[in-house]
Amino acid sequence: MIESLFVLSPTGKVIIEKHWHELIPRRVVDYFNDQVTKSMAAGEDVTREDVLPILSSPTYQLINIYRDGLTYLSPVTKEVDPMMVFEFLHRIPDIMQEYFGQVSETIIKENFVTVYQLLDEMMDDGYPLTTEPNALKEIVPAPNILNKVVNTLGATTSVSTKKMPSGMSNLPWRKAGVKYTRNEILFDIVEEMDAIVDSTGKAVSCEAHGTIQANSRLSGMPDLTLAFVNPRLVDDCSFHPSVRFNKWEADKVLSFVPPDGHFRLMSYRVNLPSQQNLPIQVKPSINIGANGGKFDISVSLRNSSGNPVENVVLTLPLHKSTSSLTAHCNVGQYMFDPVGKVLRWDVGKIVQRERAPVISGSFGFVAGSSDTVSNAGYNIGVEFLIHSHSLSGLKVAKLKLFNESYEPYKAVRTMTKAGRYQVRA
Amino acid sequence: MYNMDAYLKSLTSNAVKLSKKVQDGIAENTREFRFENQAHFLETNEDKMREIRQNLDSRYEKEKLDGLKRLIAMISKGRDVSEFFPDVVKNVASNSLEVRKLVYIYILRYAEQEQDLALLSINTFQKDLSDKNQLIRAMALRVMSGIRVPVISPIVILGIKKCVTDLSPYVRKIAAHAIPKCYQLDPAQKDALLDIITTMLGDNSTFTIGSVLMAFNQVCPDRLDMIHPQFRKLCKMLVDMDEWGQITALDLLLRYSRTQFLNPQGRSAAPVTRPVKKTKPVAKSFYSDDDSDVSHHSSDSEDSSEDENHAVDPDLAFLLKCALPLLQSRNSQVVLSVAKLYSHLAPAEDAYKIGRPLVRLLRTHREIQYVVLSNIVAIASQRPYVFDPFYQHFFVRSTDPVFIRNLKLEILTLIATEGNITFVLRELQEYVKSSNKDFVTQAIQAIGRCASNIPEMAESCLGGLLQLSYSKSEPVVAESVVAIRRLLQQRPQDAVVMITQLTKALDEITEPLARANMFWLVGQFCSQLPLVAPDVLRKAAKSFCSESESSKLQILTLGGKLVAQDGTSSKTINLLFQYVLNMARYDLSYNVRDRARFLKGLVYGQQKAGQENVELDSSENENGLLDSNNNDSSELESESLQGGGFEYSDKELNLSEHVRKILLSEKEAPIQENPSHGREQYMVGSMSLVLNRSVSGYEPLPDWPTVQPDPSVRRMAATMEAPGYMNDRTGFGSDSVYAQSRQQNSSSSSNSNTAGSRTYDGQSGAYRGAQTLDKFLESSEEETDSSEEDSEEEDSDEEEADSDEEEESSEEESEEDGDEDDEEEEEEEASSSEEEAILPAKSTRSNGRR
Repeated sequence: MIESLFVLSPTGKVIIEKHWHELIPRRVVDYFNDQVTKSMAAGEDVTREDVLPILSSPTYQLINIYRDGLTYLSPVTKEVDPMMVFEFLHRIPDIMQEYFGQVSETIIKENFVTVYQLLDEMMDDGYPLTTEPNALKEIVPAPNILNKVVNTLGATTSVSTKKMPSGMSNLPWRKAGVKYTRNEILFDIVEEMDAIVDSTGKAVSCEAHGTIQANSRLSGMPDLTLAFVNPRLVDDCSFHPSVRFNKWEADKVLSFVPPDGHFRLMSYRVNLPSQQNLPIQVKPSINIGANGGKFDISVSLRNSSGNPVENVVLTLPLHKSTSSLTAHCNVGQYMFDPVGKVLRWDVGKIVQRERAPVISGSFGFVAGSSDTVSNAGYNIGVEFLIHSHSLSGLKVAKLKLFNESYEPYKAVRTMTKAGRYQVRA
Repeated sequence: MYNMDAYLKSLTSNAVKLSKKVQDGIAENTREFRFENQAHFLETNEDKMREIRQNLDSRYEKEKLDGLKRLIAMISKGRDVSEFFPDVVKNVASNSLEVRKLVYIYILRYAEQEQDLALLSINTFQKDLSDKNQLIRAMALRVMSGIRVPVISPIVILGIKKCVTDLSPYVRKIAAHAIPKCYQLDPAQKDALLDIITTMLGDNSTFTIGSVLMAFNQVCPDRLDMIHPQFRKLCKMLVDMDEWGQITALDLLLRYSRTQFLNPQGRSAAPVTRPVKKTKPVAKSFYSDDDSDVSHHSSDSEDSSEDENHAVDPDLAFLLKCALPLLQSRNSQVVLSVAKLYSHLAPAEDAYKIGRPLVRLLRTHREIQYVVLSNIVAIASQRPYVFDPFYQHFFVRSTDPVFIRNLKLEILTLIATEGNITFVLRELQEYVKSSNKDFVTQAIQAIGRCASNIPEMAESCLGGLLQLSYSKSEPVVAESVVAIRRLLQQRPQDAVVMITQLTKALDEITEPLARANMFWLVGQFCSQLPLVAPDVLRKAAKSFCSESESSKLQILTLGGKLVAQDGTSSKTINLLFQYVLNMARYDLSYNVRDRARFLKGLVYGQQKAGQENVELDSSENENGLLDSNNNDSSELESESLQGGGFEYSDKELNLSEHVRKILLSEKEAPIQENPSHGREQYMVGSMSLVLNRSVSGYEPLPDWPTVQPDPSVRRMAATMEAPGYMNDRTGFGSDSVYAQSRQQNSSSSSNSNTAGSRTYDGQSGAYRGAQTLDKFLESSEEETDSSEEDSEEEDSDEEEADSDEEEESSEEESEEDGDEDDEEEEEEEASSSEEEAILPAKSTRSNGRR
């Protein structure tokens, strides 16, 4: 049972509180803030993200998530499956994102009545009730320009009562009576590459995580079947609730009645053979002496099927006792954050047959730093983006529509990004 | 002309009136426009409070809304605004739905404090229960049940009863949610609520059933007998429920199965052993297609007891099969719930199925990773083979939070096998480079645990640790020497080589903990190190003054052991030891002085009273200081036990005769426990498991029954007739049989029918229920098409005698469909008599509905 929710600002102040069951006094928030401060004071490199997601107070278990600077705290008194609480708590910012386009302290304050109503509908007496965005929008209207205009230009009560939908759809995830003049459905296949690459350029672990994001603007109750050219590539996957499991088991096709609007149709994982799949090669060389070190990092294209690699960014967190840094790069810009001790090199776009981007320079340690500094390993975080490229090679073969007579506009885009991509130096 | 003038005049006056009206309207509305940003509601002071009251009394909806929004804002900021209750309650019957929604929120919050005033609103809700809009009906019941005023519980029950038969599944869902609320309000109503739950369990809407089960879990979790007739239906509906319903259902079915089925592992089987690989294909064929799942079934467990794989109760197997697709849910708790089901119910060879989906969850939010990893630790400590193919996913990234990487390290050590240990080791050695000291320590300890888990790889682990002990970083050296010491205790055969290697680095090692450990090692294995050991003692004697206390203690022990080993024969050693003893005598630390006195007495044979105590104390000292961790308590015990094993009652005993035995006895190797040892005793998925301690409200799973409970109770499903309103299948876009038949053309659906009859054919006893269930589902589909039939059946339901007959006849009809031989007809009769025995329960149910 999820009894209460406190949404806390980055400074630990309560933005909104909601009690689904019984009132939990606010002092629990003070206790929580104390605990967070305490655990963050434990070490110099402990951040807010290192604070345990379940803290304990004498009476409560303080289940909390930390997202976009906001803390969603749910104190519980009794044994409960913590995963369910986390899953639910994460749904809240998800829904707010869906409603308001972004989530922040100001956004919540600006729309707090809507937020409060949403919280009221999502949970009933401690048990999740309606969490599908489509169903929620039937009950709590999303703030949009049209609503605002209707509200301000006099038409008040009669309209809002009429707006109340008389019949909910049979499918919890789809609204009834959707109508579009132009029917279209768009798919975005976004693959993220997770890799750990050692200093020799060999991948220690390497895999692709894909999601198929869809934006459906289809009238009525369309029933879609999406087939892939090569579904066997998929190693493991999870689906939107609309997808029929047994169809996937039997025929490896996705058969579903889509929700209206944006939704994530499918997430999947593909194991990649380690070597040839790395789109770019990062060659770091870092030599460390007693008082400082020299580094030299080069980036080169490896395998991106001819497409340019864009938005390449390398981040190199340096040791906390680093005092100064000088560097030079032939492409892009670099920035050294003297507080967080992070070197960030914005390489930009890399095109084949251009000279390889290189950054080189040196850094110094604060005098008197211990021996451990010189032994520490370094990890380079890598970001990149390749348009119309799929790491795994997963391709959509066709999309068929049943149950409705129109012929929708269909489109698929693919994109590859760096996920948790890390190079060890 | 005059007419014209008058006309013009009236026109202008009208125009003026109109423009004034428009202006007014616009002025009011622009004020509203400013208010579109709701943030200003959050600022309130005392003046505004008066304004709010005015707003609430206003004739205009807008101003009412304004006032209400302010109130909600204050509620959400945690301020007490109960003083407005009378003003708010007046608006409960407002025409504007928007106003009403906010009024409801307010009432729910303060009804408990203002019970009498809250009663004023009840009438409106009762009226709303008959509204033609399902959302309004639902809302009314929700608010009514949420008002915590005990007096109204009979009214709430009436309301629930009304909504239970509502045509809208959403309203029925809300009715189900109202049940536990009503129960909390007034536990005396339990019986009435039980009747409602029994009725609602017959609901065939996937939209509703999850909430009904939630109510069941809240109100009467122990009445598992109510689940018997619904078990198979619930299994079937599992895929189509909403995600939160699936979680509740899996919980309930897990508890149910633990009380109703025998342990598929057999009573003696230990699940820890890794199953032979070849069992995988067996398991696959067991589930791979719909037709074969029951073919393994045998009516009696006589023949199946020979082969454990086949001992799974068919109903249990059916549940496991139905739960399997949920592993692909996007809801991580659903995935974990299936994992819970599999790890507590499934035979060991099926457990591997949960590995991949759990690993998939590692890509999600940090907090979810934390829970998944904690659970993986618990599962992997019992069944490491589930996760060992995925070892790469547990490699630590530099960006992982502390709690994630510690868990990952632990998992890596648990799942390391001969096949992957090289990679795991290389990875662990990489972590030692980290700049975070704690992490480095953890990594080294992990290497040590790997080595002790896989003896084949111990040598290379030791090599790696030895390498680390030459490191420049002091904590690394200390930790790796400790790890080496622990390993050598387990593997004395490697000791000589390793210690010789280690002592070469003695001069460079300055970390006290490392030195203390080395002295102890040399002392313990001194019999095998006739050349090295005395030399170490010599070096130690030289540097004695500058050593730390723990090292000094160990040097003393080393000396004592050497003397005890060689007797008093070697002069050099004796001299060295006496030198050390003399130094120790004037040491600042009383521990060192004490130890010196004790060893002197022991080795050189001074018999004094009270030796036992001294010895026990000292051995505690020795061990307490030896190790920064408390893992070695076993060693302490072993030593003191062996010391205490002598018969001190014999006053004449000369201890020094036994010196060698006392000092040089084999020390039992320490058992290396994982940091989160003990997690596995809790239920998978629970908070107690994550926190590794029992949280209040934690209830362990019931143990498997030792005697097979009657499996025929689940057969009753065939006799269940759901009222027509409950058969509106919401699973149109989903996996239900109904959806399939709609999806596929008629030929394929008829295929599945024949498949059903083929597989269930020739099954006796326990299987007939499943067969009739299939038929039942088919027939209920037909019923949904024609509502007339439904109403007829409802009528018949009410007349008990008639219904009995009708059900029996319908039962027979359905039997006739499949081709069956005489034998089965006999069994059928037997079964129908059993049904009669169960029927009274059903009749009470129908009474309850009336």
